Amino acid sequence: MALTLGCSAEVRAPSPDRGITVLIESPIDSLDSRFALSAAGQRVSQLITPGLITFDATAEPIPDLAESFQWVDERTVTFKLRENLRFHDGSSLTSRDVEETYSGLLDPRLGSPRGAKLEAVLSVRALDPKTVQITLKRPFSPALADLSIGIVPARLAHLPAAREQELHPQGAGPFRFVRREAPESVVLEPHPGYHRGAPRISRVVIRTVRDETTRLLELLKGRADLVVNALAPANVKVVEDAPGLSLQRVPGTGFSYLGFNLRAGPTADVRVRRALCAALDVPQLARFKFRELAQPATGMLPRGTWAYAETPGCRRDLALAGRLLDEAGFPDPDGPGGRPRLTLSYKTSTDRVRRSMAVVLQKQAAEAGIALEIRALEFGTFFNDVRHGNFEVMSLKWVTVMEPDLLRGVFHSSQVPTEENHWGGWNRGGYRNPSLDGILEEASRVDRPRRRVLYAEAQRILDRELPYLPLWHEQSVCVVSRRLADYRCSTHGFLTPLAQARQVDR
Amino acid sequence: MRRLWGAPLAALGALVLVSLFLSLVPGDPVEILLGEESTSVDREAMRRAIGLDRPWYGQLWLFAQGFATGELRTSIPPFQRRVLPEILSALPNTLLLTISSLLIALAIALPAGVLAATRRGSLWDRLAMGLAVGGAAVPRFWLGPVLIILFAIKLDLLPVSGTGSARHLVLPAITLGTALAAFLSRLTRASMLDALGEEYVLVARAKGLSERQVVWRHAFPNALLPIVTVVGLEFGALLGGAIVTEKVFAWPGMGTLLLGAIEKRDYNMVRATVLVFTLCYVGVNLLTDGVYAWADPRVRRR
Repeated sequence: MALTLGCSAEVRAPSPDRGITVLIESPIDSLDSRFALSAAGQRVSQLITPGLITFDATAEPIPDLAESFQWVDERTVTFKLRENLRFHDGSSLTSRDVEETYSGLLDPRLGSPRGAKLEAVLSVRALDPKTVQITLKRPFSPALADLSIGIVPARLAHLPAAREQELHPQGAGPFRFVRREAPESVVLEPHPGYHRGAPRISRVVIRTVRDETTRLLELLKGRADLVVNALAPANVKVVEDAPGLSLQRVPGTGFSYLGFNLRAGPTADVRVRRALCAALDVPQLARFKFRELAQPATGMLPRGTWAYAETPGCRRDLALAGRLLDEAGFPDPDGPGGRPRLTLSYKTSTDRVRRSMAVVLQKQAAEAGIALEIRALEFGTFFNDVRHGNFEVMSLKWVTVMEPDLLRGVFHSSQVPTEENHWGGWNRGGYRNPSLDGILEEASRVDRPRRRVLYAEAQRILDRELPYLPLWHEQSVCVVSRRLADYRCSTHGFLTPLAQARQVDR
Repeated sequence: MRRLWGAPLAALGALVLVSLFLSLVPGDPVEILLGEESTSVDREAMRRAIGLDRPWYGQLWLFAQGFATGELRTSIPPFQRRVLPEILSALPNTLLLTISSLLIALAIALPAGVLAATRRGSLWDRLAMGLAVGGAAVPRFWLGPVLIILFAIKLDLLPVSGTGSARHLVLPAITLGTALAAFLSRLTRASMLDALGEEYVLVARAKGLSERQVVWRHAFPNALLPIVTVVGLEFGALLGGAIVTEKVFAWPGMGTLLLGAIEKRDYNMVRATVLVFTLCYVGVNLLTDGVYAWADPRVRRR
């Protein structure tokens, strides 16, 4: 009975030692940042084990454990570590820990999937206790973005001790690991030795709640304080009307698009792609289907990121769509309405949101005489078809578009999935453009100002050629309870703003 | 004794079917493990590490060996945790949930069914059976949130989800038990009506026994037999329903374990949880036979 009273808001506030509860939608796969592949695993391990750099809202790499970094030449970058870096066990974090962390990652025996991304790194050396020098095999400026991986104490850098990091993760982050509770929740407490001072939160409980409605109800009950990017558009209104909750939206990094098969068939003709681009009304879809949780996109890179360049994008113009289809050899058989000019198969996953979005796009395209034949497939099957180029039009999303070098992975002709690369390339439409190849290669070698110019050119080419039809960038959405003050929703969906936030009833 | 032999056979059958279906599921588990954005990790090495390079019966053999020795590990590298401790921590939660919901269902269904049968055609009868039809038609993924809104948010009496106290158990158990309660109360009513029409009831009445004794001492024990059979059979449905209920209430049981394993394409864990589900079902059916013997002296003598 005492507990019952404790829960009721009219009687008194919830017990003060509850800390802050964060709900996540799927469980943490690993607390070791070297092995975490799921979003939940990466975000939580980042709170415990930060890396040399992190990213600001424009996706620009900024120093984190490092105080500053500097390119010495196009293959060498030095990092100066902050003063007073301490691991959770009290020992200091020095350049030796950085050196060992990276030497462990580069060792294939450790088997870190993120270590594979450091393929361009030749060596990591500690020059003095506070300075680390990283040398690359070849000029490769995007390498900086992969240096966000968490720094562990030197003793945990190699096997077999490295396994301990999974059970009792160590790091120099704002929160230290306390324990796992139940199979799917984790308890963290503030790290008094954090270089920016201990967070003003008594503890953080991260709980997995798979059910969308249950997450919302926990928030409404006041037993959860933060949910990041796990709110359905239909529930936006409920949260906005709830007295104890606030909704924050910031531009996010998820990018939804329609991919075309450029190898053969009608979609190999740029005029057909342009016609579909002129047939669709993405802003309408974003407004009514996604309640403004989506921002219509003009290209792959989000507005507001450092390499973004303004391009015209798609605008609805049915007359233009008609002219383009006439030119491409798809005349209207029987005037407006009636039979379609051409039929395209549109593959998507069985996900409810994706399917309902496909139906809206189908209706819009039909008005321009393009019949989209929707085929909703179980994700495994769908993705398999996509990788093997077995589609005409498909819809997919990139979960995080931050580093613009992603364009090279997605549109460079060497990245077309084939038998030889085990169907692993990301250029799934089979787009081949030698001049774009050259631009993207050069952009991965040169310095920041030159890169910006080159990526602007690349974005103009992609806008003209339309290998992807950009749909929208998702907003990052945080639902924050009034017990958690000063929380600033992160563009990337990170939980790191918890380090600066304040627990009100502490 | 023959029934005891049937149990392992049923478990084996379920296991073979699941393994066969897993091999038919489209999509590459390695792809899902590594995530959409990875290209460079050695997929073939991973395939070998998980045993995916073998045909399904080869994978099944490896599984059976691991399961029998208790050394079976999850198929997600690099941290291949042992399956057994995870199942042992999840299983009690699921049993707690299903058994409580079974008790709730019986506590509602038996009195309601007897009441409806003895006052056949009355307002009580119609009310109880109307509720039973409604209860059977309500899906759990809807009932769960509605109960949460009512009891956890509006009335502020119970927690929304999770575990930790007896109060956490109330809503999931009711959610899971409602459909069974509805079904059982209809069955109890029908079964009681049958029993009340038998000659021994007439004899009992003729002896001048009170109505209460007629109903509870003579008719009810005889009406119980079909109910026991159905409860045993329906336990399987309860285990299936537990998966949905556990998801809604974030209840850390076997259903949560199975869902997580399917999401991650952790084939070993999927097989192991399905096997445990099957064993539970088979075990309950054996138990039902025992209860039969207790409830019906004729079975005992045979």
